[in-house]
Amino acid sequence: MDIIQNLGLGFSVALTFQNAALCFIGCLVGTMIGVLPGVGPIATIAMLLPLTFKVDPTGALIMLAGIYYGAQYGGSTTAILINIPGEATSVVTALDGHMMAKNGRAGVALGMAAIGSFIAGTIATLVIALLGKPLTAMALIFGPAEYFSLMVLGLALAVALARGSVLKAILMIVLGILLSTVGTDLETGEERLTLGLQDLSDGIDFAVLAMGVFGLAEILKNLENPEARDVVKSKIGRLLPSMAEFRQSLAPILRGTSLGSILGILPGNGAVLAPFASYTIEKKIAKDPSRFGKGAIEGVAGPEAANNAGAQTAFIPLLTLGIPPNAVMALMVGAMTIHGIIPGPLVMTKSPDLFWGMIASMWIGNLMLVIINLPLIGIWVKLLQVPYRLMYPAILLFCAIGIYSINNNPSDVFFTAFFGLVGYVFYKFGLEPAPMLLGYVLGKLMEQKLRQALTLSRGDFMTFIERPVSGVLLFIALVIIVLALLPSMRKEREQVFAGD
Amino acid sequence: MAEDGERRQGAIKSPQDLAASLFLLGIAVLALWLGRDLSTGTLRQMGPGMLPKALAVLLAGLAVVLLIDAFKEAGEELAAWSPRAIIFVLGAFCAFGFAVRPLGLSVAGPLAVIIAGFASNETKFVETLIFGLVMTAFCVGLFKFALGLPIPLAPWLIGY
Repeated sequence: MDIIQNLGLGFSVALTFQNAALCFIGCLVGTMIGVLPGVGPIATIAMLLPLTFKVDPTGALIMLAGIYYGAQYGGSTTAILINIPGEATSVVTALDGHMMAKNGRAGVALGMAAIGSFIAGTIATLVIALLGKPLTAMALIFGPAEYFSLMVLGLALAVALARGSVLKAILMIVLGILLSTVGTDLETGEERLTLGLQDLSDGIDFAVLAMGVFGLAEILKNLENPEARDVVKSKIGRLLPSMAEFRQSLAPILRGTSLGSILGILPGNGAVLAPFASYTIEKKIAKDPSRFGKGAIEGVAGPEAANNAGAQTAFIPLLTLGIPPNAVMALMVGAMTIHGIIPGPLVMTKSPDLFWGMIASMWIGNLMLVIINLPLIGIWVKLLQVPYRLMYPAILLFCAIGIYSINNNPSDVFFTAFFGLVGYVFYKFGLEPAPMLLGYVLGKLMEQKLRQALTLSRGDFMTFIERPVSGVLLFIALVIIVLALLPSMRKEREQVFAGD
Repeated sequence: MAEDGERRQGAIKSPQDLAASLFLLGIAVLALWLGRDLSTGTLRQMGPGMLPKALAVLLAGLAVVLLIDAFKEAGEELAAWSPRAIIFVLGAFCAFGFAVRPLGLSVAGPLAVIIAGFASNETKFVETLIFGLVMTAFCVGLFKFALGLPIPLAPWLIGY
């Protein structure tokens, strides 16, 4: 069996002492920063990127994967213990998880979240290993037109999955693509929209943009709504769920894993929807739906599994097609590029040890989360009891050091402050930053593929429709947008995102 | 959402959407103005200006739709801003940027923490000062010594 051989190669890479240690440190630091309220995975990874600069490429990616899972799990911990979800995906966990914590079952909620994530992570790792080869083969026959249409589909999905108004989501995506055109034109070398600033000639650094609109703007938002924190005062209690609780959660975990694995593969950040969908399903099929919202363990286990599975299969479009499906994956692209790796179908064929080592380390990362987090819960609780008046200057300092260290460039710090202000303006004007980031992430690649495709077709736009694969992708994108605009679907969307 | 809007009298039904549309319209106009000299080229051989201009026009068009909606559909009020948080949080960040090269992390760190402290009225000065020093020491240990990042420490004192 090919896959066993490949995974064997992966584990032999990931389990060297150095790489296992890097994975461990990544998980630990990722959780530590991810636990801080208002610091989601995007800000955490942007902040911790410099940690990986000194390591060899394989080790760096393994460490990053550890940071990623740590940040994800840290967000869930915050959601359960203080009811402040770090990111959209842990909103659902907060619903029942925090109620469980209030009823003195914080430990079980955290334990179940960890176990659910681990099971989901194990299955998702296998999914990636199985799909890696065929999808990579497919990617190699994709021409620029197909790539372009696939990304259009991704953006259409992002519109459909965004919260709030469809029009505003489209506006933000267009703004994101517009921002991605800032900098030197790839073909002619002309400077575009740079305001004559030297620092903008390479374009806007993605980490700077993400840290501004997610990290700094979040601090500004939190300072405005002082101390809504509701740190659980009662005991954490036992961590391991009982056999009955485990049996109760197993089916939701497996359902959540399937949902998350499928949604995560979609370009356009499908993973965001997974926890919401899982929660809705569990509530619908429950014998007694009224328990949900009052501390139902299925309401933690299912969405957490879905979240983690989605977070992991989101690597598939990146590793096989080179298309980052969300902001976190875009940061991964940044990190890979620093080490001279261009994500895409060639990674697997050219450096199989890196590819399979990273996949194996995903599983090891998940395992480490269970091992380190359960005993360390006490420390995270202590950390969460630090008052916000001390916490936000510390977060700010970490952000500043992190952003400065990415390029050792002070002007990155100023640009981040500027985008912090922009992010705050977005918040005040009811504009969601997530679709903008996705537009930005895909923008450069889309422009490149669009221009290549049009050069090949001698300026004929019909190429996108006439080529069968590209045509079908565009057609699906169109259907998705039309559906999202239908009034009945709009209501449905609102309900799903209300988590109810 | 609807409750706020229903109480509103007058032509503007959604002040938040109005502000958002004007903001985005402003960005689109700025982009068009900045890109005015870029050549558009042809579809077969696109110039550097083709996409920025097309996207700016698209952004402007959609922003106008949102603008019209703001007069038709009820939406949210504009919430008040908190200039204090903006000034001190972003100010602290910029102060770090200005100080880190010439003065090093040993000065930039405490400086950023102390300035940031002014953003909240719960801050106690002495506590923040001590906390800033402790956090800086921690960051120096982690980033400079454990990880070996090339961030300057105190160039004025020890030369690096």
